[in-house]
Parts: sequence; C-alpha cells; structure tokens
Amino acid sequence: MELKLLMAADVAAVIQIEQDLFGSEAWAERTVLSEIANPFTHYIGIFDGGLVGYAGLNSVPASFSADIQTIAVAAGSQGKGYGKLLLEWLMDTALQLGAEQVVLEVRADNDRAVGLYNKFGFEQIDLRKRYYQPSGVDALVMRAKVNQPVVLGIESTCDETGVGIVRGNRLLANALHSSMDEHAKFGGVVPEVAARAHLEAFEPTLKKALDEAGITIEEVDAIAVANGPGLAGALMVGIGAAKGLSLAHNKPLYAVNHLVGHVGADVLERGTVSLPTIALLVSGGHTSLLLVRDLLEDVELLGETIDDAAGEAFDKVARVLGLPYPGGPQIDAIAATGNPKAVRFPRGLSLPKDMEKHRFDFSFSGLKTAVARHVEKAEILGEEISKPDVAASFREAVVDVLLTKAIAACQMYDVPRLLLGGGVVANARLRQVATERCREAGIELRIPKFSLCTDNGAMIASIGAQLVMNGKAPSSIGFGAESTLDVTQVQTR
Amino acid sequence: MLLAIDTSAGTSAAVFRGEKLVAFELYDDPFGHAENIGLAIQKVLATAGISAGELTQLAVGRGPAPYTGLRVGIAAGTSLAAALGIRPVGVITLDAVGLQYATGRVLVVADAKRKEFFAAGFDGGQQVLPPSVMSAVELAEKTDFEHVSGVCDALLVGQYALQALARGDDLSDVSALYLRSPDVTPSPGKKVTG
Repeated sequence: MELKLLMAADVAAVIQIEQDLFGSEAWAERTVLSEIANPFTHYIGIFDGGLVGYAGLNSVPASFSADIQTIAVAAGSQGKGYGKLLLEWLMDTALQLGAEQVVLEVRADNDRAVGLYNKFGFEQIDLRKRYYQPSGVDALVMRAKVNQPVVLGIESTCDETGVGIVRGNRLLANALHSSMDEHAKFGGVVPEVAARAHLEAFEPTLKKALDEAGITIEEVDAIAVANGPGLAGALMVGIGAAKGLSLAHNKPLYAVNHLVGHVGADVLERGTVSLPTIALLVSGGHTSLLLVRDLLEDVELLGETIDDAAGEAFDKVARVLGLPYPGGPQIDAIAATGNPKAVRFPRGLSLPKDMEKHRFDFSFSGLKTAVARHVEKAEILGEEISKPDVAASFREAVVDVLLTKAIAACQMYDVPRLLLGGGVVANARLRQVATERCREAGIELRIPKFSLCTDNGAMIASIGAQLVMNGKAPSSIGFGAESTLDVTQVQTR
Repeated sequence: MLLAIDTSAGTSAAVFRGEKLVAFELYDDPFGHAENIGLAIQKVLATAGISAGELTQLAVGRGPAPYTGLRVGIAAGTSLAAALGIRPVGVITLDAVGLQYATGRVLVVADAKRKEFFAAGFDGGQQVLPPSVMSAVELAEKTDFEHVSGVCDALLVGQYALQALARGDDLSDVSALYLRSPDVTPSPGKKVTG
C-alpha cells in the first residue's frame, strides 16, 4: 500500500470509483482532469494493487483556508482505515500550505463520514439545503481549525537587529532596529559596533515585536535564529538571545540560513513561493544568485560576488563622489538626473573568458576602481565631472550585470521566475530594469515589499515556521555561528 | 533559585538554592561560547532538577572580558530573564574574583587581548582600584599589589550576586563592560585607489 500524488494517468481509475460510488452525481472526466491540473489543488491516491481511494484539497495561497474537494474509498476497500489515512494526509497538507482552517461539505445522511470528521475536530458551521443533485440531499458544511505554529525569528547577521513573529504563513510582527547611523562615520558596517548595538537593541526589539503581534512569549511555539552567513560577533548575540528564549519555556529552536530567509520572505506576502525560482539577493553584504527548487530541501548557489557586494560598491563609489553613507540611496537620488550612457564602466566577469569559471559570479571591485580612476583623472586634468552622470553610469553598470546574469540563469535553467531580495532592491533603477527585462524575456518577477527585502526577523521566522509545518526536528542546542554558512544548508541541525 | 551565567573566559552556568550551590557546569573552551551557552544552562537546570520557570533570580557576568564571547552570556541571560519576567542582575567579573580575597592587597588581572589587560585592585576585600585597561608595562608598575588571575566563572558570579544583593547593592546594570572603544577610526573619505 502506498500514498502517491494523483496524475493524469490515474484519471480512468478515479472515474471508475466515482461512478461506482456516486452514480449520477459522479464527477465527469474533464472535472477530474482539471482538478488534478489546478495548481492550487492537491490530490493524493492510495494504491493497493490498484487505486483504492483518493482525496483532494484546494487552498489558494494567502487565503489561509483550505477546502476538502473530495474523499472517496472504493466500495470494496471501505472499513480498512483508508479514509482516515486520506484525511490525515489532507490535514497535514493543509498545515504545510499555511491554512488556518479546513472546510468541507458532506452529505447529511453520511453518518460514517460525519463521524470521521468529528474525530478530526470538524464542527458543523452551516447547512446547505438540497445541495446534492439530483438526489436533493442536504450538505453539512463543516470546519476544523488548523493550529499554525507561532514562530519568533531573530536576525542579527549584519547591522539590523530584527525580531519577527509569524503564525504559519501569516506575518504578525516585524520589529527592527538598525545601527546604520552608528556606522555612517566609518563609511561602512564595523563588526564590533554592530555587535554592541545588537546586544543593546535586542530586548527592546523583542518587546516591540511581541507588542505588535499582541502575544506573550509563552504563546510562541518555536524560536528561529539566523546562524549564518554573516558577521560572527553579530551572529553570536542573536544566537545567545535565541538560546535564552528557547530555554526559558522549553521552546524548540531552529537555526536557519539567512540567505534562504530572504527567499522565504515572499511566503509572508503571497502565502507561497512559486517554485522553482531563480533568486537574486543583493545587499551590502551579499550578491548571490540562487536556484531554489525547494525552499527547505533544494537550494543551490549558482554564483556570488568574488569581492565586494553590490551594496558595498554603492557605498564606496558614494565616498569617491563625496556622498554620505549609506551610498545606495544617495547615488540613486543624484543618478536620476544623470546620463547612464555618459561613461561606459566595466561589467565585471562578463567577458567570454569568464563564462567558464564565473558564469554566474559577480565582481564589483574593478568597477569601483574604474569610477575612482575616472574621478581622479578628471581632478588631475582639472576637468569638471558631472556627478549625476558618473552616478548614473555606475548604477547602470551594476544593474546591467546583475540582471544580465540573473536572466541568463533563468534561461539556462529554464526557470521562468525571478525573485529579488536584499536591501539594494530599494534601488529604483534595479527595479525598473528588472521589470523591463523580465517582461521582454517572459519571466515572472517577484519583489516582496521593501520591509521584507531588507534584513529582518520575520523572514527568519518564516523559514522556521516552514520547518515546523513540514515536521522537521529542531536544531540541537549546541549549534554555533557560521559566518560562511553554505546556502545549501537551510537548517543547521 | 538563582541562575548565574558567565562567558567572560570559558562558558559556565550555576544554580543556587538560597546560598547553596546545587549545580555548576563549565566549558573551558575560550571560544565556543555560542555553541556551549545553551548546553551549560540546560545541564545545570537538569542537575538542579528544576525547570527554568522555577528561577527567581538571574545573574550575568558583565566582564570586562573579550567582547565577542562576553556578549553571548549576557544576551542569553537577559533574554532568558525577559522571557521569565524576572529582572536580571549584572556582576563585574573582576569584582567577583576579588571577593575571594578577603585579606591582603591583590590586583585581579584578566587578559584583554591585544597585549592589554583588564585589572582591578582590592585591599582587605575592598576595591581600591576600579576596573581599567592596562598595558603590560602599566601592569608591571603595580608592584604594591599581589597579582592574581582574574579568570571568572558562573560560580563566582553567583556568589558575588547573592552577597551583594543581600547587602542591598544595585546590580541592575547588565550591560557589557567594554572599557575600550571599538577598534576603528573614522574613514578619511574619498581615495579608494592607491
């Protein structure tokens, strides 16, 4: 006996059981086919020799509700517990999909089914008169609550102290404290300054998140913390805090990957991440191109920066142009009036010779130097430079190389989806060019709202919740900070 | 029930029932604080046979000590206390060590890394020199003290906290005692090449 997702090849067997059981009320073949093909429905079959039973669930992402479409067990196979098995699978699936309730209709005269549903916590909420036709039998509408896990997530990989709280796929709170201002006079994030700030900011940020969610720490089911990649000293503050919280009330603790968190953020907005997807994560600390086939099981690093992160390049070029930290918004602002074609700055790792070893890697160090040389040369020659032109040309080079590689990855892996994440997503030109090029290439573009794109605790909580919903065991209490954590390691056990 | 936590040197935790020590766990590793902190707390709670919810007091070592490890203990202790709704107390680790010397004139010295030292002086159990950072040369000049190791742990932190609280001392400050600014200077700006 085995449980398998139904496929088009199983339709004939389904029809046979339908007709045996329901006669004139049986589903037509095209109905079964379209049900199985619907991306929001999930059909399972029990095979014992042949198909002996099947069930289906429909859940539109972000609706937080799931409907049981059908449960059927072949006449000769009833009374063997198959119905219970199918219902268990449906309830598990509803949990994994983030549904907070499951709703179904059942024939009012089907005592056996109603009894089973009662055992699973279903209660009647409505009656539909003469719902089943042509028999004219009433339908009971029943509902069961699904307890989605409340997960508190902690983020402290760089200069943002984040505490987020989710219930399953639903965002409850996203509290953030940034130490960015403290780094401004240094022109970049100073690890020791960031770590000190995390320690001071943690408790107030925790309190803010709990207040925002309107819950107490006792009501949290699990704690998640980003244990890498990031600045070791900063990570360790979050890990220490997470372990303290976990031990206070014996809450399971999950160590999750910060980069995968950026991908998981989209779950909180859309109720799901459409997979597979290419993800381009661009921030002051990372420039990574990922292929995500499964959020928890299959994340592949296609390429990353071999020197500076894109955000770092913005900061450094801003300094060259005499603009304050952080450089991204400053350059974005003055570039608005500049000519992006005024100076042709280099596109790192884009030459034919780079394609073998660095097909999807990035390099921004040479670009930053080229801008510096350009400005210095003008100074030596006593020429005026147009800062808006230089800023616009630099920005164009960054955006061009980021999206050229991201779209090439979509095409090479035949994945027509691109998800953007990281603080540099705030860049107006990046969003604009991404929109244009994805449209031209027939690629679906996803950009979560900005508060979920920058480093935040909610995205860590979201991955934690996915782990809980999928029945993954918690991490052991002895995990540490992994500053170079590989993106393939979604959870540190 | 008091839980003491210290990550100023190794990673350690201790549980006291009243003034009596009922559990102590030390991980000597001068690194590994993030890994060991949960294990240490979990173990002492198990040895004491209590759940965290039964704790009524919580003390953390504030250093001075190398910062990266020090912060782990403070972060764990303060978040644990916050989750339990109890007010944590902070203990300066040099004071906790100094308490062991009721007589004599001692300089409690701990490694501050970068060829520097954290030190505090005590005479007959009274602090006569507040915690400060010293170079090896400055340290050598303190000839009127007997120099003793300032390596601290949760046992000493807990003992100090219990005595000080009984005296009515204010230990409400649980911030890390850094004594040094972050080792960084503001950027001179511009010039990226060169």
